[in-house]
Amino acid sequence: MKRYVALIMTLLLVIPAVALAGTVKLGFINSITGKEAPIGENLSNGVTLAIEDLKKKGIDVDLITEDDTGKPDKSLAAFEKLATRDNVTGIVGPYTSATANADAKVAERYKVPLIVPAASKEEITRQGFKWTYRVSGTTGDYAGVLFDLATTLGKPKTIAILNENTDFGVSGAKSAETIAAQKGIKVVFEESYSAGSPDYRSTLAKVKAANPDLVFMVSYAADAILLMRQSREIGLTPMAFLGAGAGFSVAQFAQEKDISQGVFSSTQWTEDAPWAGSKEWYQRYVKQFGKPPTYHAACAYESMMIMGQAAVAAGGDREKTREALHTGKWNGILGEVRFQDYNGYQNQRKAVMLVEQVQNGHHETVWPLSDAAKKPIWPFPGWSK
Amino acid sequence: MNVFFQALISGILIGGVYALIGIGLTIIFGVMRVINFAHGDLLMLGMYLTYFLFTLLHIDPFVSIIITIPLMFLFGGLLQKIIINRALNALPQNQILLTIGMGLVMSNSIMLAFTSDYKILSTTYSSSSVTLLGISISEPLAVSFVITSGITTALYWFLYRTDTGQAIRATAQDREAAQLMGINVKRMSIIAFGIGSALAATAGALISPTYYIYPQVGSIFTLKAFVITVLGGMGSIFGATLGGVLIGMTESIGGAYLGSGWKDVIVFILFLLVLLFKPSGLLGTSKD
Repeated sequence: MKRYVALIMTLLLVIPAVALAGTVKLGFINSITGKEAPIGENLSNGVTLAIEDLKKKGIDVDLITEDDTGKPDKSLAAFEKLATRDNVTGIVGPYTSATANADAKVAERYKVPLIVPAASKEEITRQGFKWTYRVSGTTGDYAGVLFDLATTLGKPKTIAILNENTDFGVSGAKSAETIAAQKGIKVVFEESYSAGSPDYRSTLAKVKAANPDLVFMVSYAADAILLMRQSREIGLTPMAFLGAGAGFSVAQFAQEKDISQGVFSSTQWTEDAPWAGSKEWYQRYVKQFGKPPTYHAACAYESMMIMGQAAVAAGGDREKTREALHTGKWNGILGEVRFQDYNGYQNQRKAVMLVEQVQNGHHETVWPLSDAAKKPIWPFPGWSK
Repeated sequence: MNVFFQALISGILIGGVYALIGIGLTIIFGVMRVINFAHGDLLMLGMYLTYFLFTLLHIDPFVSIIITIPLMFLFGGLLQKIIINRALNALPQNQILLTIGMGLVMSNSIMLAFTSDYKILSTTYSSSSVTLLGISISEPLAVSFVITSGITTALYWFLYRTDTGQAIRATAQDREAAQLMGINVKRMSIIAFGIGSALAATAGALISPTYYIYPQVGSIFTLKAFVITVLGGMGSIFGATLGGVLIGMTESIGGAYLGSGWKDVIVFILFLLVLLFKPSGLLGTSKD
């Protein structure tokens, strides 16, 4: 009799586990409101598409979404809630470098696998963390591809670096400095600014006085537009304006034709990317959300796809999910994704970068030349009258 | 040298707008002794009003202040009549909480209605400039400086030359004495808050073509307005004008020579120095 009871008990335990094999509880942290919300929206939409596609694969994701408003303290609170109260298997997010860097530390403490989709600060995956995996490329990748383009198309000798004084901005400037030194380009001006000031004219006047061949900017959302507007006012005309993704990659920036024409921006994904399904995914996104996606959307999509598959394969166990992330290989709209250790990075995807240029109000893929949809305009054509 | 003059000019031009924000706050404080922490949010409302007048009705931002000013005057007056007048005799900390709360309600209502997306108001002249002796002067900023000067002059005339204006100043100097002289201080408070709101909203309208608009944008300007008024002397209109231009110049020149990341540090050091050596502000007279 005892044996039967034991058997039934075991069955009772096993049956729900089998039935639930396709269900997994995951967390998603994002800047849904606040200053970074316009880019955050791209991440949210990307995740929405991923949840649909996971369902098609028979994976039901019970997704719990938290808004961190772009602030590290709120992001930490969100992470702790997801890790302890909601007991999620893994977390995707958050968006900005400052929030992701904070969350990476608590991911270690709570031993919850974290996939960072779009934050690019170099240090995030350089701290020897076991639980943080990054799909996003680093600011080194962002700057590197722009320098490749600039040194192939022209012969720039000097550069001015202007960055926001956030985790992302500072890391971007540091990467640019390192790569400029490698390529033998002299940094003639370097300064960080605090976002939200209505007046950057005095700083830009100094950039103009330094007369650099290249102007490299690292900025979030609306400051990119402000900086370019005031560059036009001041009459700053270098060989090229280079933007490190983020604020320079949003459609709103491209639409400001007077100030965005000819500006380059590094990106991790475009509709012309050489990876299977990119074009279809782009069209599906536009159809569903009524506007074109930035690379953030694609990165968030891919991150959630990976987390969903890894978590289900691991049966919802955090440690096993981490192992799955560590050894796994995925193929999607970002090409092949593997998390590797290299150059001091841990669990970092080696991102293949592209460059977009704003041409007539649209971002066009111009680099690498093999995937280019349009020919790059070089040098900077000058300001419209 | 060119950099210096460039910084000076843009500092003075942006300072004009700051002055407008500061004057609004200082009038409200002078008359009611209430620090309006919703000031930046009133400015934000002015920005949204300007944005929608421009995108929906195609009214130029600089022209639309003709609509924005009376509308925001009424709105401010209403706020005073319905809400703040009830708290005039309350503890100062309660008044502060009240105005902070009002600001939160405004910014969050706007966020609910229009989401937290950035709105960019693009006019044909948003990034135009004229070059004078090698210095580029932003056209929209120059126009807004002219308008600011006009409005400030009109305000001075109103406060010094009209009966109502003098009644407002009397209320600001001594509320009880003014009341004994037969001045309706409640009405003066309503007018003062109306003027303050209208000025904040005008400042918002004037920077809309060159800045960006989002629901939380007010907090940046609330802090700035506060620094400007304290610097100039709480309640002093001329002080706020001076304070605004001074802060604009300090930011700009400091940004040019020490790096723009240091802008705020320089402003607050200046602020602390003034408080240290002249606690009542540059043109303030210490009372109560």
